[in-house]
This record gives sequence, structure tokens and C-alpha cells, in this order.
Amino acid sequence: MASASAPAVPQITLTSSDGIDISVDRSVAQRSVLIKNLLEDLPTESTNEPIPIPNVNEAVLKKVMEWCEHHKNDPTTTNDDDSDSRKKSTDIEEWDQRYMSVDQEMLFEIILAANYLDIKALLDVGCKTVANMIKGKSPEEIRKTFNIQNDFTPEEEDQIRRENEWAEDR
Amino acid sequence: MLLCPTSEEDESFESGRRRLRGPAVVVDCEDDNDKNEEIPIASSSKTVTPYLSEHIPKTYNPMSGPDGQVIPSTEDAPSANTKYCNRHRPDRKCRRQANEPSMEQLQSELNTLSQTDQQSISHVWSIFSAAPAKQRNLILQGILSACCFPQLSFISASVRDLINIDFLTLLPPELGFKILCYLDTTSLCKAAQVSRRWRQLADDDVVWHKMCEQHIDRKCIKCGWGLPLLERKRLRLEKRQIQLRATGRGMNEWSPNITPLPESPPSSREASTEPVFGRKRSLEEEEISPESVAKRLRITPLSNESQQRAVTKQPWKDVYKARFKVGINWKHGRCNIKTLKGHTNGVTCLQFRANILASGSYDTTIKIWNMESKEEIRTLKGNDGHTLGVRCLQFDDKQLVSGSLDGTVKIWDWTTGQLIKTLTGPTQGVLSVHFDGPYLCAGSMDNHIYIWNTQTKRAYRIVGHTDFVNSVKLDVASRTLFSASDDNTAVLWDLDTQKPIRIFRQHTGPVQQVLPLPHEFEVDESDLPEYVPDVDTDTDSEHEHHHHHDSIHEHDHQDVPNAHTHESHPRTRKAHATPPPPLSNPSLFPDDSDRPNPPQYILTAALDATICLWHVPTGRCLRIFFGHLEGVWALAADTLRVVSGAEDRMVKVWDPRTGHCEKTYTGHEGPVTCVGLSGERVVSGSEDTDIRVLEFADEGPGGEVA
Repeated sequence: MASASAPAVPQITLTSSDGIDISVDRSVAQRSVLIKNLLEDLPTESTNEPIPIPNVNEAVLKKVMEWCEHHKNDPTTTNDDDSDSRKKSTDIEEWDQRYMSVDQEMLFEIILAANYLDIKALLDVGCKTVANMIKGKSPEEIRKTFNIQNDFTPEEEDQIRRENEWAEDR
Repeated sequence: MLLCPTSEEDESFESGRRRLRGPAVVVDCEDDNDKNEEIPIASSSKTVTPYLSEHIPKTYNPMSGPDGQVIPSTEDAPSANTKYCNRHRPDRKCRRQANEPSMEQLQSELNTLSQTDQQSISHVWSIFSAAPAKQRNLILQGILSACCFPQLSFISASVRDLINIDFLTLLPPELGFKILCYLDTTSLCKAAQVSRRWRQLADDDVVWHKMCEQHIDRKCIKCGWGLPLLERKRLRLEKRQIQLRATGRGMNEWSPNITPLPESPPSSREASTEPVFGRKRSLEEEEISPESVAKRLRITPLSNESQQRAVTKQPWKDVYKARFKVGINWKHGRCNIKTLKGHTNGVTCLQFRANILASGSYDTTIKIWNMESKEEIRTLKGNDGHTLGVRCLQFDDKQLVSGSLDGTVKIWDWTTGQLIKTLTGPTQGVLSVHFDGPYLCAGSMDNHIYIWNTQTKRAYRIVGHTDFVNSVKLDVASRTLFSASDDNTAVLWDLDTQKPIRIFRQHTGPVQQVLPLPHEFEVDESDLPEYVPDVDTDTDSEHEHHHHHDSIHEHDHQDVPNAHTHESHPRTRKAHATPPPPLSNPSLFPDDSDRPNPPQYILTAALDATICLWHVPTGRCLRIFFGHLEGVWALAADTLRVVSGAEDRMVKVWDPRTGHCEKTYTGHEGPVTCVGLSGERVVSGSEDTDIRVLEFADEGPGGEVA
């Protein structure tokens, strides 16, 4: 993400929570609605100053910018909640699947960063990835996947299992 | 003796320890007083102690207090950041929990070592624990580069199990909901069994409201699975409330937790439980019955409002569950079958709403039934009744309209059995009636459609069909009417001009039924079979240039170039690389911007044993349903399914989108002449004089379990 890019492309600098400066194409960084709004609010002369991103560390910020770079030409998604709720497919395109092949810590950080930076499409992919980790698993398998303690008593567990049995009637 | 290996240790542990020199030296460098190459045990404590004393006070972690109590840290912000990334600050609850069994194993292994070794190892740990984040990474880098492959393999295996994050618990609730909303029914119910927190989130109204929106009365695009309708209005009404909740606000309010609290005083909740389902179903059938589809806009009785309010106390998961169970029954064809016997000749027509069923018969009578008890409530006949077979009927809250082979249309008060009025006009038998708003219309064996406007008191007829008019359906909002005729066509008429807007030609036999689909019905273009251009269907431009004056058949043969007569088999026509017109819905009345379009999709059934799905604005036949062996006489549909009855004595249930026949029900001993459909029932009438009711409700008539 160094300054090797063509000079014609306007660059901006982001400062991660751990104080590292990262320079990216302005158009790439603007996949983030937070950054986009920030840049629009800034007077033009001060857009050269580094923008602090206090909630995202260097590793995650670079990872997020990698996604933005790949998706920089995507049409901007409408915030039409209804169409979104109709198409809740958890299908993830191939590049994004590979991108999301990270450990749970990085995935967690990507989701938080996407939420903070307001990158809806990335947040969707992150949440879908987690949903796919839950899908089709038994409660015990889910606990194992996410290292969760079963805090139900055996009686409660039995009662809740019976409460949810209807969904298995296929 | 940090750097002096002792003899009894195994080789790998030893080498691991020895190479700890890397990070140890780093630590060492921070201590200016100590420049020894080899650090004796005494000086090692000199190295360790200042390091710990330098870093521990700053990074003191209140959560790791001996009793495990969480001490709220007040001034942690800047200092805590030195060690933890923003998420792992002790004031956040994101710290990993120590794993009990593995810690015990570690303890027992440590106990086997000598005191000196224990101290040395403990020093390594404490230094690491005390180190700020950056130095920790440095220490780890050193350790990693000192590791040989078996140790790296050990690390890699351990790490894989260690980086397991409880996403739902640690993410803000709105993101947890977002994740859960991507799940299917079964997975959501599994998620609810994971832990208390997961249950709280996975059972939340936010998630299940969305599930209801996606599945109830529509096919979920994701899974293709649809559930019978319930209160669509309630879904709409509560949407904003739910959206607010989905953002994480309002999370402290009621949620259906382990001990669900009603949103309102328990008395009203109690009171609502029993009657709600009965009323709910009546509403549901109100909306779903094909006869009343066109009335939907008109009928929003006040009583519905109070019903909605009463129903809102039920958690959305329970709402979903109740519909899901019915959906499962539909899927597997599990139903209770009732037979209503009483007519003395073939049954020709029927309609039902809630528990009331009306049926007409060749025996000249109309019978009103209680479907629950299978009892006949009354029979509409008498001296002023029909003199020949009843062929069609429709009823609402009070009035019932019937048409008969005797050429009359009669209006009854079905609640009393009294005849209110007899309408005459048709010169031959009446085969179809439909009323909506101020209009009442009838299709006759004299090839005409008769329309009575009760507001203007005007009566007129539409002339155009060249054979029996078997089916008529009004759409008052757009001032249009659909008709189906023995002349093998279905037609969309403009009530203002009494001229055809569209003529639907595809069937090779008399068209028995035409049925507009609910406005919510949608077709996904990708589901459709290969496009077959329908050259002889009127298009807009043709319509402008060729007005229909006399008969549709004259038009068919004379006006339209390349007109396909009925002898040419429509299904053999092939597309000539012309792309299908898109399924858009441009206004059919561009000169009248206030006039809405008629329903976008219709179904027709014909004696050629097929059912067709049409796109009205383009006049395209989108799909043909094959499977009946003989002529299809009866048709009913909602947004989820189509039901047909045929001369072959079968009742078939279809998926209107894919065209697949989902179930075939047999049982009638004569041709099936009429069918009715609701979210929980299929009713069919036959020339064998019987009416069969298939109940898909879950438990008993209400279909709901507390």
C-alpha cells in the first residue's frame, strides 16, 4: 500500500489504532461510508492529512483495504432493507470466500471494522461467513466451533430441546 | 538457571528453553545494570523483578484477580491500551477464559519439575504476562523462531482450538441479529439451544419477525419454502418496532426469554389466546380466498384492527412455528379428510370462508355448511329458488349470489336463507358470477357477459365471445374484467369501453376458468421455461390499431397477420432468437395515470387438460402446467400454491413458480367440478355429489397448539 501507485490517483493516509500510517487510493478508502463522509466534510486542503482510524489496528485495516481494493468498482449497494431481507442467501462469491478464509480472530475484527467503517457489503459477507459456520450444526458442534460453555442445566437443556423439536420435522 | 538446561528434561523442552535466550536478552537489555552473558539464578530475579514492576502496575488486569471478580476499571483507558488491543482491554468482556482441564494438566506437569525449574518457567510466563502488546509479539517471534517443526505443529494445533470466538455474545446485539437472520429455521432452533445468551438472541422477535416476513405467504427466495399466510398486516404494523429493536435499542425491553413477559397485562394476553386463532383464520381466508382476492383492497373491516392488537402478544417464533407446522403438513400431504354429504346431484360450485362453506348443485339447491362439524346449516331453495341446476355462486358476510342453468342470477341473504332479488337478462344458462364493489357480473351460455352496477343501477352486457362464458372475474380497482370461454380464449376487458385489452390464446380446448393471482405473487424470470413467443396475443400496438367489434374469432382470423388458428399447435412454435419481453408492469392505461393496472398474473384452466400462467401486461404465456389426464374444470390459488380439479377425478396441488405438481389427491368418484383453497384447507366438489375437505391444520380445527 505504499506510494508506488500512479500519481494521478489521489491518495489518502489512514492512521491505524497502533499508529501506523497506511496510504490508499481515495476511491478505495471511500468504500467506507465513514471515511467517505469524513472526506466530504473536510476542507479540500486538509485531505492530505492522515485520517485516524482509532478502532482498527494495522493488520485489520490492511486486510479491510484489501477487500475495498478488490471491490472498488462494485456498484454501490442501495440501503434497501426490504430487497435485502428477501434475498438472504448466504452464498458468498469465490473471491470473498478466499478472503474470509482467516482465523476467527481476524474474522471477528473484520466484522467489527466493517461495522465501524460502515462498509455494508463487507459486513454482509462477514456475517454470512459466521452464519455459514453455524448452519447445519448441532448445538454441541456450535459450542465447539465457538468455544462456548453450555450454561444450561440438564433439565433446561432437555426442555429447550423439546421446545425446538418442531423445526426438525422435515 | 534460566539458560542452563537441566539434565532430566526431555530434548525438545530443553531446546525450547534454551532458545528462550532471544526474548530473555531483550528483557535483559532493558536492565542497564546487568550485562552478564550468562545469567545466574540470583541475577535473573534481578532482571525479572524490575521488568515486572515496570509493567505490571500499568497493565494490572482487574479481571485476573485471585477470586476472579470483575473489578470495574475506571482509569484503564490509556494504560490498558499499552498491553491490550482495543478489544482485549480488561474492561471489555472479550478475554478468553482459561481452559480448566488443560490448566490442570499443566499444573500437574509443572509439579513434576524441580523447584528451580518451576521458578524459571514461572519467570518466563510472568515476563510474558507482564509484557505490553508489542513486546509480547517480540517475545513470541523469538520463541517461534526457536521452535522446531514438532513444536510448531503443536502450536498450530493448539492455536486452531484456541482462536474460537463466541461471535454472537461478543459482537453488539445488532450484528448478532444480522448473523442470525441469515440462518434457516432448523439452524436457528439449534442455535437457541447453545447457551443462555444464544437462546436470548436466537429466540428474539427481531429474528423471527424477519423469518415470518420471508416465509409466510410467500416463497422465500433463499430456500424456496413458503408458509401459509397469517396477519400480513401485523407483520407490517410491527416492522418499525422490530427495526428499532434490531439496532440494539430497546434490548432491555421485553424479549421472549426463558421467562417471557407479556407486553401487556396478563389478563388481555389470556383473553386473546383462545379466540385469536379462530379470528385469525377468518381473516386469513378473507385475504386468501381466490374469490375475494379482488376485494382485498376494499375489505379492511374495523374489527381487524382489534384482532391485530390482540394477536401481537404472541412471540414471533410461536407465530412462525404454528405456520411452519402447517407448512410441513402441506409438504408431506398430511391432512385430515372430511366428506360433506347432502346434495342429491352433482356439486358444481363452492366457496368457503372461515368455517362456512357454500355449495351449489345440479339438484337446484345451494347448501350452507359448517365445515367444522360437517353439518348442513341450511339449504337455499324454495318456491322462488332456482328451477334448474345451480352452476356458480359467491358469498360474503351476508349476501350470496348464485347463477343457474335457468338463466337467472339470484341474490340471497345466506344467514337467513331469504331470497333478496332475482336478476334476469341472460337468454340462456348462467355459468359464472362474480361481484366486487358496486359491480355484479355473470357469464352466460348465450356467449355474453352481463354486468349490473348497483350504484348507477345500470346494466349492460359485453359481447365478444363466440361460445359459452365459463368464468368471469372483476377487478374493480382497474375497472377491468377477465373472462374465460368455450371459444378457447381468455380475455381481459375494459369495463369503461367494454372492449378487450388482452386476449390470451394458448389453450386448444374450451377455457373453464380464469383466475387473477394476488398482487403479491411474483415470478422469477430465471424459474421460467424457454421463452415461446406468443405471436397471436394482442400487444399494445395491435390493440390501438384493431378494435374489437364483433367477435374475437373474426379478429383472430382477419385482423392479425400471421394469426395462428386453433389448428396450429401452439406448443410447437419456436422462438426465433427474439428475447422475451421483460416482465415489467407498464401502465395499461397511459392516458389515465390514476387508474391502476389489473393483476399482473393470471391462471387459466381448460378442457385441453392444461393450466396456463400468464403475464397480463405482455400477454405472455409463462408456463403450462401438464399433468391432468382430462379437462381441468376447477382452479384456486394463493401466493404459495395452485389447486386444480379435473374431469379425471383428481385434485392436484402445484407450485405456481416451478410448475411442479406437488401432490395429487384422489378420492372423488366423479369429475371434480370445483375447488377452494385457504392456507390450511383444500375443498373440492364433484359430480359424485360429495364435497371433500382436506385439513392441513396441525392440531384440530384451530391448527394451533398452546
